[in-house]
Amino acid sequence: MAAAGITTSEQYDYEIVKKFAIMTLVWGMIGMGVGVYIASELAWPILNWDIPYITFGRLRPVHTTLVIFGFGGSALFATSYYVVQRTCQTRLYGNALANLTFWGWQAVMVLAPISYMLGHTQSREYAEMEWPLDLLVEVVWVAYLIVFVGTIMRRKQPHIYVANWFYLAFILATALLHTFNNLAIPVSLFHMKSYSLFSGVQDAMVQWWYGHNAVGFFLTAAFLGMMYYFVPKQAGRPIYSYRLSVVHFWALSFLYMWVGAHHLHWTALPDWTSTLAATFSIMLLLPSWGGMINGIMTLSGAWDKLRTDPVMRFLIVAMSFYGMSTFEGPMLALKDVNALSHYTDWTIGHVHSGALGWVAMITFGSMYHMIPKLWNTKLYSVKLASVHFWLATIGVLLYITAMWISGITQGLMWRAFDDFGNLQYSFVESVAAMHPLYVMRMIGGVFFLSGMLTMVYNCYMTIRQGVRETGPAGVAPAGA
Amino acid sequence: MFSFKHEWIEKNVGLLAVATMLAISVGGLVEITPLFFIRNTVEPVDGVRPYTPLELRGRDIYQREGCYLCHSQMIRPFRDEALRYGHYSLAAESQYDHPFQWGSKRTGPDLARVGKKYSNEWHVQHLLAPRSVVPESVMPNYPWLLSTPLQYADIADRMKALREAGVPYSLTRAEYERNVKKFGPKVAEELSIPDAKENLIKQAQEGDYDGDRSNITEMDALVAYLQMLGTLVDFSKYDNDHFVKDR
Amino acid sequence: MPARGMAWLEWFAHPENTKPIGLLIFFILFCLILVYVYGNRQRGERLESHKDIPFLDEEAEEKTAR
Repeated sequence: MAAAGITTSEQYDYEIVKKFAIMTLVWGMIGMGVGVYIASELAWPILNWDIPYITFGRLRPVHTTLVIFGFGGSALFATSYYVVQRTCQTRLYGNALANLTFWGWQAVMVLAPISYMLGHTQSREYAEMEWPLDLLVEVVWVAYLIVFVGTIMRRKQPHIYVANWFYLAFILATALLHTFNNLAIPVSLFHMKSYSLFSGVQDAMVQWWYGHNAVGFFLTAAFLGMMYYFVPKQAGRPIYSYRLSVVHFWALSFLYMWVGAHHLHWTALPDWTSTLAATFSIMLLLPSWGGMINGIMTLSGAWDKLRTDPVMRFLIVAMSFYGMSTFEGPMLALKDVNALSHYTDWTIGHVHSGALGWVAMITFGSMYHMIPKLWNTKLYSVKLASVHFWLATIGVLLYITAMWISGITQGLMWRAFDDFGNLQYSFVESVAAMHPLYVMRMIGGVFFLSGMLTMVYNCYMTIRQGVRETGPAGVAPAGA
Repeated sequence: MFSFKHEWIEKNVGLLAVATMLAISVGGLVEITPLFFIRNTVEPVDGVRPYTPLELRGRDIYQREGCYLCHSQMIRPFRDEALRYGHYSLAAESQYDHPFQWGSKRTGPDLARVGKKYSNEWHVQHLLAPRSVVPESVMPNYPWLLSTPLQYADIADRMKALREAGVPYSLTRAEYERNVKKFGPKVAEELSIPDAKENLIKQAQEGDYDGDRSNITEMDALVAYLQMLGTLVDFSKYDNDHFVKDR
Repeated sequence: MPARGMAWLEWFAHPENTKPIGLLIFFILFCLILVYVYGNRQRGERLESHKDIPFLDEEAEEKTAR
């Protein structure tokens, strides 16, 4: 041991990765817990308890913020810091700055939910944070960019590995989107309230340009970066086609930014914009599926791993859900389908097949791979990971099936006419029809959440085991 | 140009960043910037005006409670929506909405034209206890709206911020005159920032939205806002397909 | 609001103009990328040689394990 010179923990900065990995689990647990609660509120409105702070309207941004930015964001910080170090074979740049990203990001994740519950919101979906928090995010993000680019500049070899391209695109795009979507005028310097700089149709377009690209870059490109590292590592074989990954990268980066307006079909947004968005949404299917095939085919010749390795199963199922939701997305972006699906639960189902099926699953797989390595040990229980896999899969399937049925039912009930040309159903009849499906969705959520809890336990035991084996400093005792 | 090598980008993080920025900027530039310049993006129509001080505070509360998460304010040009909600929404109708509240989900019905469809009393009762008027509703109760006095000390600051964003609230005499020309004297009066507080109190007392003239509550403001939604444009003045050319 | 001299932008406001333009941009770009990436054997081999980068970090790990 002593003769070997440097250890991985000296060669790489793992402390920051560990911290973010732990917070991924924490925010995942809380964020999904809030999700199950608000799903229950829709099934049983009494659960709002007449308490202003926990009504559906105030808790929903808490849920979205904690799962997207808390769980997803921390997972991205953790894995990007891990991947960039290992693929550049160098230590992370800017220790203090990296710590700033950690504490800054966690501060946002604590303050944002509190501020929503107190009623401070910009009322822009997935960008509800008021201006002081937006500024904090901006600072953290610039620090993140510096740390990430600084590390790449220290790399040991000339070529930058493709996973880092995806992470870089995610950092740049998020900076761009966050900045423009949050342009607002505060009521005063000591007032949380601000008014968006843009109004009406332009504001809607900016918001959905942001909204869909938060999906495109935060929840897709970055997690593809994860895929391009962890899938080959876990499979023990290189990515199926590196060339395809280059095409995947440029096509995805270019095309995604056009499609946001498909959230505004048939609205007061001009027809040309939404048509353009629909067209590009269809085109986006190509790179999406190219990337999915690239990921899945990495396993070709080692399919047996799917039977034995639950971590691999997480990764492959994640890519399958990625393929499925990137097929569903362009379909929902067709104007005629959108006429039925928009404003209904179908959209919610679509988001969750992406968020639970793709984002969360690939995160679970990556974390099960990375956490044992970080603490220099083995996963505490492969069997528990397998249990988690089934809980999560059943949970997603229940969730999206419920939302498909409820979404299509809503859409059809709203546009149903009787023989005399009158509307067949009042609106509230469609609300009543949703009840069993909202219960089913909630049960799906409970499955997914309990899977998450088994993961937290499994990882806790893994970390404890790692600490016991190597000592708290991460240095192996002499006899080991 | 012909000697371009992708290899350069792969080996230089600066180039990679610049190329990526270029790739991700095109879409937004092409789709968003024209919306600020193309004339018929927001069609000309009579009647649309900025919110009165009381309505504005109501709108703030609408945002605060996250109403937009379950109610859209954007009626699409379909037969069923026309029957259920009324004429499809025009871009002009949300031109003073900072931010827009079109929404993306209808867990409850669209509210773009809910104004004047129900009485004030109905709205108050419905907000206090939705299931007392609509048994199948899944909306939360909002009892605190009636018990919380409306906070309006900062109404002028709020309007000033919106004025910065381009809403024609008037601060000076000249701006007031301009509003008189554009909206008529009655509306111009309501848009005057120096008179905001008095206007707010006056509207709340005359409107009697929450059924109690003795105090101004958050309920007053919210109901005042709901009752004006979609009522500004008189569609009987326009032909059936008058607005089609602007879509 | 609309600035003068911006009338040419109206041309873009018609889907019958913008749709083919969008398709054209995409298609040309897509073909260029494909030709670039797959059209040259040497370039292809060079690109594929990078796929092993994630496995280069193993050495460092084995060193510690010993």
